[in-house]
Amino acid sequence: MGTANKDIEIQNFFIFNSLFGPKEGEELKKIIYYYPIDDNTGVQVENVGLVEGIIQFTQTFNPSNPVTSLHTSKMRQLYFQPEPNFCFVLTLTLPVVTKIKESISTIEYMEDDLQDNVYESCLKQLYYMYRLFYGTFESTLANHNLDILKTQIETFFNPYLKTIKMDGLDILTIFKGIQYLPLDRQNFLKIQCFINSLESKWEYIKHTAFLYNEHVIWSGLEPNSMQIIYQYLIETLLPANAEVELQGGSIPRNSSLPFSALKHGRFITGPSNLKHAKTIGKIPKIYLFDENEPKEYHLVIYRALSATLCLLIDGSIQLKLNDFQRIDDHINPKISPLVNDIAEYCSKQVVTPSNSQENSPKFLYFNKLNLAYKSSVHLDNKQKGNITCSKESLRIMADMKNASNFLGPAGENIVKTTNDYWVFSKTSNLREFYIVLQQKNASLVDISEDVHRLCQNELEGIFFHPV
Amino acid sequence: MSVDTYSDSYLELSDNPIRFEPVNQLTNVFFDDSNKDVFTVRSGGVMGVVVKGPDSNTPLNFRMEDRGTVLSIKFSLDHQILAVQRLSNSIELMNFNNDVLDVEYSIGCKKNYNILGFIWSNINELAIITDHGVELYIVIPAKKSVKHLKTVLIPVQWFVWCPANKIALLASAHGSQLQPVIIKQSSVSKLPKVETEPGRMSLERDVALSTLYGIPAVLILRHQIGPHTAEVQVHLFNGPGQAPVKAHVLKLGLSGRFAINIVDDLIIIHHQTSRSSQIFDIALPGESDGSVRYHTTIAPIKSLKPTSITSPGLVEPHTQDCELYSPNWVVFQPNIVIDAKLGCLWHINLCLLDLCNQVNDLSVCTQIVLRRTEGKSVLLKLLSNAVNEKTPNLDKLQESFNHINFIYRDWVEGELQNQLGSPPNVTQTTAKNVTPPRVLIDQSTMFEEIFQKLDGDLNVIERVLICYFSSLAEYEILAQSNLNRLLVSTLARQNKFTILQQFLQYGVISDSKPLAVLLLSLGNMHPSSTQMALDMLARLKATDEIQEVLLSENQILAALKLAKDEANPRKFLTAAKNTGDATLLHSVLYYFRNHSKFSSILQNDERLHSFINDYNEIFNSTEK
Repeated sequence: MGTANKDIEIQNFFIFNSLFGPKEGEELKKIIYYYPIDDNTGVQVENVGLVEGIIQFTQTFNPSNPVTSLHTSKMRQLYFQPEPNFCFVLTLTLPVVTKIKESISTIEYMEDDLQDNVYESCLKQLYYMYRLFYGTFESTLANHNLDILKTQIETFFNPYLKTIKMDGLDILTIFKGIQYLPLDRQNFLKIQCFINSLESKWEYIKHTAFLYNEHVIWSGLEPNSMQIIYQYLIETLLPANAEVELQGGSIPRNSSLPFSALKHGRFITGPSNLKHAKTIGKIPKIYLFDENEPKEYHLVIYRALSATLCLLIDGSIQLKLNDFQRIDDHINPKISPLVNDIAEYCSKQVVTPSNSQENSPKFLYFNKLNLAYKSSVHLDNKQKGNITCSKESLRIMADMKNASNFLGPAGENIVKTTNDYWVFSKTSNLREFYIVLQQKNASLVDISEDVHRLCQNELEGIFFHPV
Repeated sequence: MSVDTYSDSYLELSDNPIRFEPVNQLTNVFFDDSNKDVFTVRSGGVMGVVVKGPDSNTPLNFRMEDRGTVLSIKFSLDHQILAVQRLSNSIELMNFNNDVLDVEYSIGCKKNYNILGFIWSNINELAIITDHGVELYIVIPAKKSVKHLKTVLIPVQWFVWCPANKIALLASAHGSQLQPVIIKQSSVSKLPKVETEPGRMSLERDVALSTLYGIPAVLILRHQIGPHTAEVQVHLFNGPGQAPVKAHVLKLGLSGRFAINIVDDLIIIHHQTSRSSQIFDIALPGESDGSVRYHTTIAPIKSLKPTSITSPGLVEPHTQDCELYSPNWVVFQPNIVIDAKLGCLWHINLCLLDLCNQVNDLSVCTQIVLRRTEGKSVLLKLLSNAVNEKTPNLDKLQESFNHINFIYRDWVEGELQNQLGSPPNVTQTTAKNVTPPRVLIDQSTMFEEIFQKLDGDLNVIERVLICYFSSLAEYEILAQSNLNRLLVSTLARQNKFTILQQFLQYGVISDSKPLAVLLLSLGNMHPSSTQMALDMLARLKATDEIQEVLLSENQILAALKLAKDEANPRKFLTAAKNTGDATLLHSVLYYFRNHSKFSSILQNDERLHSFINDYNEIFNSTEK
């Protein structure tokens, strides 16, 4: 009995362009990238051919709405065409549960545990993350050639795919939201002034974002761009740095005293040690697509205490070591008092949360206009299963999200599960709101009242459509 | 001194000095700093006495008998009695009316007493300072007599009088003992002594009495000792029992002969050798050692602006440049300079804008200008210049706004307390009158004079506005609606809706109905604008407006739920009909029909019947 439970895993992931090998015998040319690299070319060509076939076949029935996924009993295949003729394909194995009944074990594939909208979003992020650092495929082809494109894709995806965990993704992946830090007007404006002064002093700093721990306080970027940079910071860059910064002991968001060990700010992309650095170090270049033309920037990240400052510097500028020194001289003395004030404010806000009890209602909030989310369902934003409600409820939320289009500008959806979970979805004023509560023998009226109270407490100052 | 001390000067002598006959062998000149009268006495008075007051248009002219050299001459405060000192131990008094002197009477003191001077301390009160102390008399002109009121015995070598505060500073032991006395209301009372370093002597000309920011002050010039250059010690009479407390030291960095003037609460120290003046403001923070604050000159040291006088000549008027910082100059408080040889009395004026150009730091300038009587227009000019630069220095602007709003906040709070503190049934006396600050720049002024006039780079306007908002928030002042609107439109014009959204989220822009309407009108530029407007209306509990918004977006049922019993059936039915959605019309009509309040209206209001007809038409035809 070797088979145990298995999580969702990547079976394969590939990118192809049918136009690159239209003739028979040239099928391999279509493949731009294929993972895992140890699949032999025969398998690769077969898989690509199958997908091409499915896409073409389905197109005859619904030309305006291309196929996005393929369900089989053991796996799920998701399709995404980010640029004309370039197709992304992600094949995932379904999670497996081994059940033993009367000493006979049976394997069950949990089809419902893998939700299309969650993993479609995940697939899209693969592309957008790539595009952030390398720009579009088309622009690379136009400026360089296919070989360079292939090298870039390999350099990016080979390590990236290894770090991604496919298991435990939920509705948060669909939103890919940004967490904002609640802050008072005065402190917010101080940060705003600090950034204005920085941007007006160095005109080549085109955009700035200010984060406190994992929460955004200020972003001068369009939400779509901020979203992807935010994902990069939260998932990749900051965790990698936190390990360096803290040997033992985490930084609680609400700690009242900032830690003396990290008194001085420093660049985490760029020269790491300004006194001894001889070169400016590695600075990622990124591409943003907010305007008609994609724009190139240096992504310079500065960290001081718990604050992270993202400076998007005009990509055409050649940065020199003394630019960094001067920027540091400007930022360093100003940022510490700012961060201390924020920390002080946050420490005052910590009230023993009333909803810390096991069975109190949990909620998830998302505003699609600024991509802000707030969640008491998730204890962190790492998506590693650190949640306060059942997985099933989260799955119901994702399904409800799929159905929310039918509700129009405002509406509600309520589901009751067999184990006394109530899941509630509400759409109003371009926002989405999900609530989970577990209550035995409750009536719809009770639940509605609970939900109403929660909305008033957690989301004051927001317009809700009348029910 | 080099030429550049003359360029860009910020101090000037008044344009029209009071002119009088210069001192010569026959003519003596006296100045009475209580009445600010200049006396020219020709040949002991026989050839006439001319008195020019501050309004020199009507000089007094009279003759006196020559009965010896005049040592001192002063009118009483109402110009009804003239007091003349010719001998060392008596004062002669003459009633004065209609330019004619009346009979004389006199006050004498003990033979061995020596009169150092006399002061008209009140309308008819005359204080005589002798080397033995102060004697106070009341003069009764009708009876031509004097009555002794009080004597305070104390050794005096010289004294300084401040007419504004009625304080005399009596010096003994070569100026190492300085005893202030207040002479008013028929009494003489001692104040605690001025604390000076033991045995440190001072000269009369190095001590000045004046008022700084409403507080009486004594300024003592201390000349160079050892490596230290000269300094001025400022003692303010604000300790317990009006005791003088050494509070400030002005570092002069020079040595030589100095003279002190006060202009608009700024201390001006003239230095004769270098022919230049330094300027100090004790209200600036300076460097503190805990009890005393040390100040240096607030602007580069400059000379007074050159000036000239015109005298009638034989053929044509003759113009003559005046020698500045002349050895013939005598200065009086607060801002008087007299050149007796030239026959001129000037007032020193401050050119505030020129001073600021020299100081060149917006934050310091703001602090200086906020405390000047004519500061408002200058400050607005400075701010206007600063914000109109291509890249304004935001940090300095922020500091400047903070200084402005610090005063603004205090004033607002004072006003508020005044309003709260004086309900209509309480008499006016309990309500403390808030003296308005010298320079008050409120939000309306900022909006009208600064922000409304900005027309350059929108990004710059945005940053300057944010600076101001931040400063208002620092002092917990809510921004006015016109500023909020300006910020919203500045952001909208740059298409910065993401930023606008963050400002609303963090409460930078406060809620109001007009603002919500503005946001609604921007809804076609960015959907977030409508979202924010609805949120704002919800916070303002503006149900009617929300209803209208929902109706305009064809969310008729939502609007109907919100309207509850207040709905206007015709409005909703019209809206439902206009959507062309039969089900919607059905829902709305049935809602009204089943509602206790509306069902009768539906029946009785003929204007609504058309909807029922429409309804029947639609649904009867589909049923067929």
